[in-house]
Amino acid sequence: MRSNLIYVIFATVLLMAGILVAICLADTVPNAAGVAHEQFNGMQAGGDGAARLEHIGGLAFAFQALLLVLIVCLAALGIAEERRSPELWAYMGGTLLFSLFVWWQMYSGHQAFLETGVTRYFMGFPVATAWQVYGTWLGAIPLIVLYSVGFRKFVFTVEDERKYEQLLEKIAEKSEQ
Amino acid sequence: MEAYRQEIIIGAVIIYMVFCVCTGLWAMRRTKNSSDFFIAGRGLGPVVVSLALFSSTLSGFGFVGGPGLVYSIGVSSFWMIVISSTGYALGFFLVAKRIRMIADVRNCISLPDVLAARYNSEAVRFLIAIAIVLGVMGYLATQILAMAVVMQAILSGTAMFADIGLVACVVISSTVLIFYCVTGGIIASVYTDVVQGAIMMIAGVLILLTAMSVFDGGMQEATSIILADDGEAMMPFGAAGIMASLGWFFVFGLGLAGQPHLVTKMMMNKKISDNRSILPMSLLGYVMAALLWVSIGVIMRAAVIDGVIEPLALPDDAASLFLSIFTNPLLAGIVFAGLFAAIMSTSDAFLNIGTAAIIHDIPKAIQGHAIQNELFWARVVTVILAIVAASFALYSHFQDATLVAILGAFGWATFAASIFPVLAIGLNWKGATALGAVAAIVSALLINFIVQLAGIVLPYGILGGLIAFIVSLVLFIGVSLVTKKPELDADMEAVLNI
Repeated sequence: MRSNLIYVIFATVLLMAGILVAICLADTVPNAAGVAHEQFNGMQAGGDGAARLEHIGGLAFAFQALLLVLIVCLAALGIAEERRSPELWAYMGGTLLFSLFVWWQMYSGHQAFLETGVTRYFMGFPVATAWQVYGTWLGAIPLIVLYSVGFRKFVFTVEDERKYEQLLEKIAEKSEQ
Repeated sequence: MEAYRQEIIIGAVIIYMVFCVCTGLWAMRRTKNSSDFFIAGRGLGPVVVSLALFSSTLSGFGFVGGPGLVYSIGVSSFWMIVISSTGYALGFFLVAKRIRMIADVRNCISLPDVLAARYNSEAVRFLIAIAIVLGVMGYLATQILAMAVVMQAILSGTAMFADIGLVACVVISSTVLIFYCVTGGIIASVYTDVVQGAIMMIAGVLILLTAMSVFDGGMQEATSIILADDGEAMMPFGAAGIMASLGWFFVFGLGLAGQPHLVTKMMMNKKISDNRSILPMSLLGYVMAALLWVSIGVIMRAAVIDGVIEPLALPDDAASLFLSIFTNPLLAGIVFAGLFAAIMSTSDAFLNIGTAAIIHDIPKAIQGHAIQNELFWARVVTVILAIVAASFALYSHFQDATLVAILGAFGWATFAASIFPVLAIGLNWKGATALGAVAAIVSALLINFIVQLAGIVLPYGILGGLIAFIVSLVLFIGVSLVTKKPELDADMEAVLNI
């Protein structure tokens, strides 16, 4: 069966491009990308976080969610077509859900802070930021585990290695002739 | 010990530089041809490749600019480093296996070589080589300047070198860099990278421990001080806002697989199966070294807000002031050596790929064959390239910053936008065409150039590099889908099937 993965990737990128255009056309708010700190030269301040997200919060959330979909699809593209088994897709789906969960926790944690002005801390950082610092980094660890532990099953099997060595031998023979 | 702070720091830096020179001399005996000079004869072990890969990723920008960015814009800049796990994962899934196979099958010694073989197109080779040369000039000039500024700051603290000029510092630092790159080529480069990487990892962990002791309440007290001053600066999107942050996530995450100085290292390992251990080791090294970026930046911003120290004259002073105020002289010595290591490990990688583009790829794209005596010319061009980059750096510093700024636009984001689709997707999709590749490269270069030259500011902090990257991806896949599917050579077809 011919893979449709490249079409999924293309559609995702097109949607992301559309969201970027929508954000560019959205109403702007002053200092949306930061403003010079009133007291300290060289420092930027974020100012009113709720106002900065008012017109584009939902679009930005969707942009990042699509980026997480794109990352998982690209990782799958790196695996030979015949080894993209249901088992692999289940694993990739789990990885995507985990990344989306981290992203949701981060975004909603930020929203909660904007509403209440208070936050709990986890390992040195406000909770929403801790999701960013630790969660985002951990979000791709399942991919690292898949690559390292599943290397011989998905990435470069013993059969692949044999085919590759045969190819090299064939090329060597050809060049000797 | 405090009385000898400056001497200890200088001693650490001198020991490091002498090591680089000795490595160059040792590697010279192992460099017998251009394949050894550019890709170490594809014979490196997993530990060497891992350390070389991550130490080249984290340049002087990471050690100087990174803490400065946290000081300036808060958490926004964290997005450039928390994405490292995704970036390395995609690099290995999409590039590591096939770039190594194509290098073997077609005896490639550079990234343009690999892409010319994949697309059977000299136009693709030429465009990638041009992008690399332009990017290398900008990167090298800024790295050499950073190296000289740090050296001047260290030496001017002593009575003997109090009046040393920037030109002298450029000459000293560039001479060491040129020496080991010319004598030992990539072999010297990767083996110095091993030590450079180890120093950076140790420095990152020690700095984190020191940073946590600055405030009685540790990191949490520092972050709560910043939060109380400006909530957004310490929240996930920082002062720069959500779109700048997500733009960095995209460009730094996906873009890692499009950095020529990094993917070239994926061609150097002895066995493809080593990739399974190279990936986690590279990531671990990067994370340890990047602790410095986060911890110094947070502590310095909190310390200034809390009145512990005076405001910084420049955000980029964050790292050097932290070292002089909060660390003991021995640690400062290790970190300053680590700083030179970070700058040099990136510079040597760029010198190498820039030289390959000039003496190997551009002549091959134009004349259809490589020049005679490549190893000799590689050494000559390495010297010339470093001298030209150093001249650019000095001209930029004393006369006009525009030139290096323009070339600097060909930095990470441009490499990401122009190379990622063509390489990372192209090696995994047989339908990718040369025309799609040309459209992607040209659009990425043009958009980055135009945004830089015209000084275009996009709403909500959207990066020009992000626009270039997405346009490049759309054009690459779109043009490939509507153009005739290429007939691949048998060996290329076999490689893409594995």
